[in-house]
Amino acid sequence: MTIETQPEDTHVDNCLALGSIVSSNSHLDYTVEIYKETDRERAPQIDEREFGQPVFIQKSVSGEPYLVMGVIYNTQLVDPDQGRTGTRLAQSDQGQFTPGYIEERTTLAGVALLGTARVTEDGLLTDPSHELPRWTLEVDDIVCQCPDELTKTFHMNDEGDLQFAYADRILNVGGPLGSDVLLSIIGRLRSMIADTDKNQRVLDVVEQNITWQAHTDRGVIR
Amino acid sequence: MASPHRSGGDSMNDRSDVIGAVSGPGDNPNEFLFVTPEDQAVKTGEFITYTVTVEGESRDVFARVTNREQIRGLPDTFLADPAVAPETIAATLGVPHDDTDLYQLTAMVIGYYDTMMSTFANPRQLPQTGTPLRIAPAEQLEAVLPNLGVASTTADVAQFDGLAHTGWLLNRPAGEVDIRMPIDEFASTHLAILASTGSGKSYTGGVLIEEMMLPSSRAALLIFDPHGEYDTLSEMQTHSAFEGDDGYQPDVVYFDEDRLRIRISELELGDIMAILDNPSDRMQERLAGGWRAMQNKDSRTWGVDELVEQMYTMYGEDDSSVGGLEWRLRRSIQRNELFQPDANVPLDEIVAAGQCTVLNMETLDSRNQQLIATVLLRRIYRERLNAMRGRESDIECPVFALFEEGHRFAPGSGSAPSIGILRTITSEGRKFGFGIGIISQRPSKIDQDVLSQCGTQITMKIRNPTDQEAIKKSVEAAGEDVLRELPGLTPGQAVLSGDAMNTPALVQIRKRLTDHGAGSLSATEQWSETYDRQQSQPVRSEPADFGGGESTGFEEL
Repeated sequence: MTIETQPEDTHVDNCLALGSIVSSNSHLDYTVEIYKETDRERAPQIDEREFGQPVFIQKSVSGEPYLVMGVIYNTQLVDPDQGRTGTRLAQSDQGQFTPGYIEERTTLAGVALLGTARVTEDGLLTDPSHELPRWTLEVDDIVCQCPDELTKTFHMNDEGDLQFAYADRILNVGGPLGSDVLLSIIGRLRSMIADTDKNQRVLDVVEQNITWQAHTDRGVIR
Repeated sequence: MASPHRSGGDSMNDRSDVIGAVSGPGDNPNEFLFVTPEDQAVKTGEFITYTVTVEGESRDVFARVTNREQIRGLPDTFLADPAVAPETIAATLGVPHDDTDLYQLTAMVIGYYDTMMSTFANPRQLPQTGTPLRIAPAEQLEAVLPNLGVASTTADVAQFDGLAHTGWLLNRPAGEVDIRMPIDEFASTHLAILASTGSGKSYTGGVLIEEMMLPSSRAALLIFDPHGEYDTLSEMQTHSAFEGDDGYQPDVVYFDEDRLRIRISELELGDIMAILDNPSDRMQERLAGGWRAMQNKDSRTWGVDELVEQMYTMYGEDDSSVGGLEWRLRRSIQRNELFQPDANVPLDEIVAAGQCTVLNMETLDSRNQQLIATVLLRRIYRERLNAMRGRESDIECPVFALFEEGHRFAPGSGSAPSIGILRTITSEGRKFGFGIGIISQRPSKIDQDVLSQCGTQITMKIRNPTDQEAIKKSVEAAGEDVLRELPGLTPGQAVLSGDAMNTPALVQIRKRLTDHGAGSLSATEQWSETYDRQQSQPVRSEPADFGGGESTGFEEL
């Protein structure tokens, strides 16, 4: 399914870059270093790289352009200066005396892979698949913010029904926050479809199920 | 599901008709569990088979499915919104939902058909885990379910004579597994048709009557019909299905109440006592004396006059007890047209092979119905006894008597003159070729001795717990699994059990060839009709009174 509206906004090449991959914890679980002002002219704002933000990584396989879809399921702050209690040599106009460290405070984001999709010639998303992506991403691969329209296309099957066939994997990879990632995606999809859409009721039930299960797992309901 | 090689040597066989595989033993010694996928819609009550080697011989063991439980399926939480199908939720979450449901079924071993014993024998061993199970083939079921004594499970029972085609197995398509009960069996060891009102017990009675009157059986039938429900049976006399090659056509005779008579001398002292209004001890003593004296006389055509005269002769003209008795006898017996000094129902007119006699007792009160039945049964029993002992007899052939509203004739509580003879016939009648069929909607109100002697039972929908309890107590063949089915049956569905069956079976009763006469009245239809009729009739009106003095008030136009 291809979204025809506003192609310039949803063209995969025009999407905002959020960061680059620095390491991985498993085949499905990557760590991304979020860009700062020093890295990019247009660094992502705090609400553009929030928890539950769908992302994609462009990947060319056998000459074919593909998107590997993912979601930010965790974040972590890194401050190399933390715990350094030595004498401060810095002046007041200097953040820190050790220049190499000055901008080394970074935000890392955990990205869990959701599936794959092909890219059309118009730079749009098509043929979404929620199966486990077989390809491995690489360090320095750029992770882009996935616009709402693409997110919606990724979650629709040919019949126009919503699907989250990756739900079992995301609940597993996401660990304690897995259900919240799903709920966050559901929340985003809800705002993208009409209130009268038949899928709203499906979302209700799915959301209810996940919330209930999460509350049971966390001991709120026994 | 178990892999094919576990099933003991038949892995090379075609498994396309296998519906499931044994998963293990069940709770009780004759039970085993098996698992089937969703597409094998094996119903409870279905007959399945597996092969087992008994004493070196390969046997097809039959088992009945008694329970069905889902062991894998979509969670209940997917049903949160009735407007959203659970499959939609499953599809959304990527949960597999096509053909993923698994069912665990419980089956009760019936046994393999032992051709030597011509009944089921329990192999006393449960199938091994992984044993493939198949739906029992229709021809085999037709041969082995009813008690037909077939020599082989492949016998073509449709060709057999003397069978009552009652219906077909409920779990199979109509007509796939026809159930034919041996008429000899239920006509000699008695039959009970138990069902609540409106579930088709009279209809089933009608089906059996038809089967018994077919040219291949030509029964001597007597129907005690307190409601006049069997008036459509006369169609048998012209229906082509009942025509025999030799020109046979059943004779259907209706005996209305004006032909139903009891000769007073046929009554027994106990019957008279039951009719009389609260006689004193002295009166009973006087009556017993007089009655015995009358019975010792040669004449069998005496009436109340003669009896009273006899008592006055014995006890004196001024005996006050005889006076009281006279008043009571005249009131209860002489004024009742049922009792006659000489008239009687001629047995040779009501009992004959190929004749179905319907005693229409609609207008008689229940005491008279009981008395008629008592006297007739007693007489027929006596004749049958004579016939079997080689003495002269009016009834040369076996008789089957069917009692509609059987609880009236053999009530469990209170007294009924007919109960004694019914108990005698149900316990002894088999030897003398006198069978009884009891139709009733209140099994709990039937005398338990009579009910428990009915060897074959056709049980239809019964919800009343007291009635279910009565069936459980008095019907030997009614297992728990059969009783469980009773509340869920719909009209026309029945459990056949007892002597005529090798194992109980759930059956859809077949359509009657003749019309059914005992449907419920359509009250609303009749109300509208009556209303219309009233509207179209001339009405009474009151003309204006002009003071002329001639008005008579209401005047018919």
